[in-house]
Amino acid sequence: MKLTLFALTILLVPFCSNAQRLRIAAAANAQFVSQELVKEFKQLTGIEPELIIGSSGKFTAQIEQGAPFDIFMSADMKYPQELYEKQLTIGKPEVYAYGTLVLWSNTTIKLPVNNLIKADIRKIAVANPKLAPYGEATIQTLQKLKLYTQLQPKIVYGESIAQVNQYLLTGAVDVAFTAKSVVLDPAQKDKGSYTEIDSKLYKPIAQAVVILKSSTGGNLQQVKKFYKFLFSAQAKAIFKAYGYK
Amino acid sequence: MMYQPLWLTFKLALATTLCLLLLGIPIAAVLAKSRSKLKPFLEAIISLPLVLPPSVLGFYLLLAFSPQNGFGKMLDVAFNIRLLFSFSGLVISSIIYSLPFMVHPVQAGLEALPASLREASQTLGKSSWQTFIKVLLPNIKPALLTGIILTFAHTLGEFGLVLMIGGNIPGVTKVASIAIYDEVESLNFSTAHIYAAILMVVSFVILLTVYLTNKRLNKSRIAT
Repeated sequence: MKLTLFALTILLVPFCSNAQRLRIAAAANAQFVSQELVKEFKQLTGIEPELIIGSSGKFTAQIEQGAPFDIFMSADMKYPQELYEKQLTIGKPEVYAYGTLVLWSNTTIKLPVNNLIKADIRKIAVANPKLAPYGEATIQTLQKLKLYTQLQPKIVYGESIAQVNQYLLTGAVDVAFTAKSVVLDPAQKDKGSYTEIDSKLYKPIAQAVVILKSSTGGNLQQVKKFYKFLFSAQAKAIFKAYGYK
Repeated sequence: MMYQPLWLTFKLALATTLCLLLLGIPIAAVLAKSRSKLKPFLEAIISLPLVLPPSVLGFYLLLAFSPQNGFGKMLDVAFNIRLLFSFSGLVISSIIYSLPFMVHPVQAGLEALPASLREASQTLGKSSWQTFIKVLLPNIKPALLTGIILTFAHTLGEFGLVLMIGGNIPGVTKVASIAIYDEVESLNFSTAHIYAAILMVVSFVILLTVYLTNKRLNKSRIAT
């Protein structure tokens, strides 16, 4: 009996600590920059948002099922637009940054994209173009350079940009197409080298943000504060430092 | 912050084990006694989580719990309960996911008991309920222990299901296995190592306890 009471008490704990929180669902490519944004936002306001990282597609599915997130920073325009059309957002999606595609390699030698056809590059990691805008941009780039058919046997698809990064850092692939914000993060800076892809080769990666209706009324003011902060000069400077335009 | 996912995992495993004690033992008792033609079907249904990928279970629970469909809609409208992205949702899915781990050992234990044991007890005037609680259950201690501990340990390792219906919310659904995935995704390999190592050591100690205790209990039974 005592044990049961003890267990029940333990189980009830999560329902009691019901402090209102500000929850941000951020796309994997924006994980490092959003950590920095959250830090800066906390310094300015004292509010510390909770950051949840994942792929934009998965977040969209979860939000449609009522996931308790307040703000969704997507990797593209398509998913927030879909949520907006389903009337799950407060207001239209707004672009908070434009992403930049880079080719990341394990060696310290900078690699021109044309060199990928060489035999010593055996595996190339690309994010799933169906789910990740950086993957889509990669395929567009390779097609425009007329390298796609030739390189196809070497390509390994990751679920998201985050998995592509893992493939490179664990040595599973020789090179990876990723977001510039990843390679500019201080923790990854001295791991390999990167080459920026000419932005004319792919459609701009417009990343949009929306406030979600599932966000609880109590902290809507905080939510709006963070949303506004995303478009402030301070935030713009942080985005720039992480390679966004 | 660091210990929160581990603590949550422990709570989930404890809750699931307690619920399955209440639910699994009666199911095992019914199955052990049953001569019904339906028995193989029931057994197959209960064993499904052993062979199904957790994503299959996760997918169907996602649909079932969704406030847009039948069951989830009813819960939402009538009771204002949403199981998706909540701790109680994880407990319910873990109960389904770990069900065979409680039912199988207990059922096997009960089936292995000689019929004379029950008959003797009932001859002495005990009701079948008293017989079950006071005679049969104490005689299958190793099986009960195995059931309890395997259920606990199996729930510690739950991943695919939580990934699909949990939403990775700190303090609510971000259990240790999800935290590991999260840290690897964020390229924090060293933090992932810590979580993973803790889970591995805990699981090993749990399993070792089961095997050591079962060995001792079996020995003492042979001795008497």
